[in-house]
Amino acid sequence: MDRRTVIKNLALVIGGAALLPSCLHDSGKASIALKKIKVSADQEKFLADVAETIIPKTDTPGAKDLHLHLFVLKMVDDCFSKKDQDAFMAGLDKLSKEAESRFSKPFGQCSQAQRESLLNELDHKQMAFQKAQYAQGKKSKREVPADDMLAFYGITKGETVFGYTYSKYFMTKQIVYELVPGRYNSYFPVKNLKANIKHG
Amino acid sequence: MANLNVDSAKQRTYDAIIIGSGMSGGWAAKEFTEKGLNTLMLERGRDVKHNINYPTTNMYPWEFEHRGEVPYDIQQANPVISRCYAFKEDAMHFFVKDTEHPYIQDKPFDWIRGYQVGGKSLMWARQTQRWSEYDFEGPARDGFAVDWPIRYKDIAPWYSYVEKFAGISGNKDGLDNLPDGEFLPAFPLNSVENYFSKFVSSNYPGRNVISARCAHLSVPQPIHIQQGRVQCQKRVLCQRGCPFGGYFSANSTVIPWALKTGKLTLRPYSVVQEVIYDDKKGKATGVRVMDAQTKQVIEYYAKVIFVNAAAINTNLVLLNSKSQRFPNGLGNDSGVLGKYVAFHNYSARISAEYDGDMEWTTDGRNPAGGGYMPRFRNVKKQETGFLRGYAAGFSAHRGMDTDSSGVGKGLKDNLANPTLSNWKVGSHMMAETIPKETNTLTLDTSKKDDWGVPLLKFNIAYDDNDAKMKQDYFEQMTEMFTKAGFKNIQTNDSKQAPGLDIHEMGGARMGNDPKTSMLNKWNQMHACNNVFVTDGACMTSTSTQNPSLTYMALTARAVDYAVSEMKKGNIA
Repeated sequence: MDRRTVIKNLALVIGGAALLPSCLHDSGKASIALKKIKVSADQEKFLADVAETIIPKTDTPGAKDLHLHLFVLKMVDDCFSKKDQDAFMAGLDKLSKEAESRFSKPFGQCSQAQRESLLNELDHKQMAFQKAQYAQGKKSKREVPADDMLAFYGITKGETVFGYTYSKYFMTKQIVYELVPGRYNSYFPVKNLKANIKHG
Repeated sequence: MANLNVDSAKQRTYDAIIIGSGMSGGWAAKEFTEKGLNTLMLERGRDVKHNINYPTTNMYPWEFEHRGEVPYDIQQANPVISRCYAFKEDAMHFFVKDTEHPYIQDKPFDWIRGYQVGGKSLMWARQTQRWSEYDFEGPARDGFAVDWPIRYKDIAPWYSYVEKFAGISGNKDGLDNLPDGEFLPAFPLNSVENYFSKFVSSNYPGRNVISARCAHLSVPQPIHIQQGRVQCQKRVLCQRGCPFGGYFSANSTVIPWALKTGKLTLRPYSVVQEVIYDDKKGKATGVRVMDAQTKQVIEYYAKVIFVNAAAINTNLVLLNSKSQRFPNGLGNDSGVLGKYVAFHNYSARISAEYDGDMEWTTDGRNPAGGGYMPRFRNVKKQETGFLRGYAAGFSAHRGMDTDSSGVGKGLKDNLANPTLSNWKVGSHMMAETIPKETNTLTLDTSKKDDWGVPLLKFNIAYDDNDAKMKQDYFEQMTEMFTKAGFKNIQTNDSKQAPGLDIHEMGGARMGNDPKTSMLNKWNQMHACNNVFVTDGACMTSTSTQNPSLTYMALTARAVDYAVSEMKKGNIA
């Protein structure tokens, strides 16, 4: 070990010690490169558990299998304003704490039913928010609610579903997207529709 | 360029120079080279070779980093181009970003540009309708702008000429306000589009909803196979560039054709600063170019010069081409250069739902986009409180309703099992605007871009006639929709700035009188007979049709004339 490394490690230990009290669970960084938002491994894990609750693994792949939580992070990092990113990060921590205080254990260790009950509460509020936005003529999915926790949930839900329905898995195994349809049938009987093909 | 010898000047001398490689420039290249002229085509942007430089063309939705969305920072830094419907992750590399090429908006104008070989012909919406006699006679009949120096009969054979080569799909509808052309089979209307079409023609004499005519190869002919193009595969991902050559673009069709003659020199990265006018010779002798990469300034020479830089940039080049003879811009004796700029008003839409025809839907995708309603206002005589009128798109489709509420397995199941919605119908307005002297493009007196060209200032706005026409569109469409049994009718005034229609026209208009126009009936400058303008800048009025087909026809016609004049020695 050379001198430079020793000093660096020492600094890490001291720095780590200083950070420890406020960041007990911080065990590193997010697993993908992010340009703007700073996400710890624990925050990433929490987000993955939220995404997995939204799209759980059944007999078909779930959010974690499809890395949808990483897609959410990528989108938040690249496609949202600073204000929305801040709300997302603040809301993430609030929801994590809310779960822990409600169930006395981390969100990831709660049962699917517990996790769903918490998220469904937010989902009702988010749906109502979207409906109100729509009524006001705002159709952008980029409208984010003022409440941080709801903002986090709204963004995560929206991007998880977006990532899921635009995943290779979904677009090849669930509702097939055809790059080259090669046809336009202007009169197509509804009774002949196949559920597994994206018509039009 | 005194430091270069005679041989070098000879190497930089051609029979014809074309400024711009898009819709009209591409056609000029084909026509000149087929007629045997050594032709130089200058393009300010990079080369885009058919089927080689279409980086996204075969990408699936999940292969895009943001699944099609334009990242936030790009949108924030480039508000104008971000408003363009086609500026998405799959095609944003074909559009000019605001930050790359600034301009000055004295009044808001969304200037949508494509700086590459092929220009905007790569990403255009591919709608192609002929003008009719009623369109050409408009300014004279209604007393605005100046009289068009041509009529339908002058351009009709040239419409046929370009339609056969480009490949236009459509029905022979027999409408005198939208003449038939040389059509490949049309993409048919669906059941609700047909229902509305029949409803309109039987309840509103003079109004029609037809299959939109478009530049797609529904059934390719031998000439198209010879071009290396095959049948349109209904991908409707056209803005990425089409590997099948299923729609007309300069890249897929006229440029490769011109290159095959061996007569075309295509020079990308060539920013034209000005057309050189020789005061002694009394004619234009060439163009001055700055290489966009090396910043080297080079002159090229030719007997004839076609300015096809796209309407607004053609104005810019001409305004910046100053000489003793033309201190206010090339050919600008009349003082009209940069004035009477007009566009199409696309700021109105209407949508509704229909619960009939529930046994039908559609399958695959329609490249034509649905139906087209030719202008029905003031066609044969003045009958409303506003001048001219509007065409309208009309389309119907059944979407998928997905219940995306909740979380968990139930949500997952719902996402995989959407239900077919009722019919959604929609229309958008394509309105004529009246060219006005006060709608201007001028050069900024101090600011220049990185290529030594003054920045362009826009002073273009809607007027009262536009507002009245929009009101009428909303009223008429609402009435027709209501009577047709559509429900939940919603009108939408986008309040968008001029320009987003991407149909800017005028500034170097055609006319009979050199005192009030720039170009004669052959698109030839009144005051400088070896310079021609055949892009949108030449348009005396705008009518309502998507203009590209008319530019193609005017270009082929003008080249034919120019070459015959060269043979006669009138252009030397």
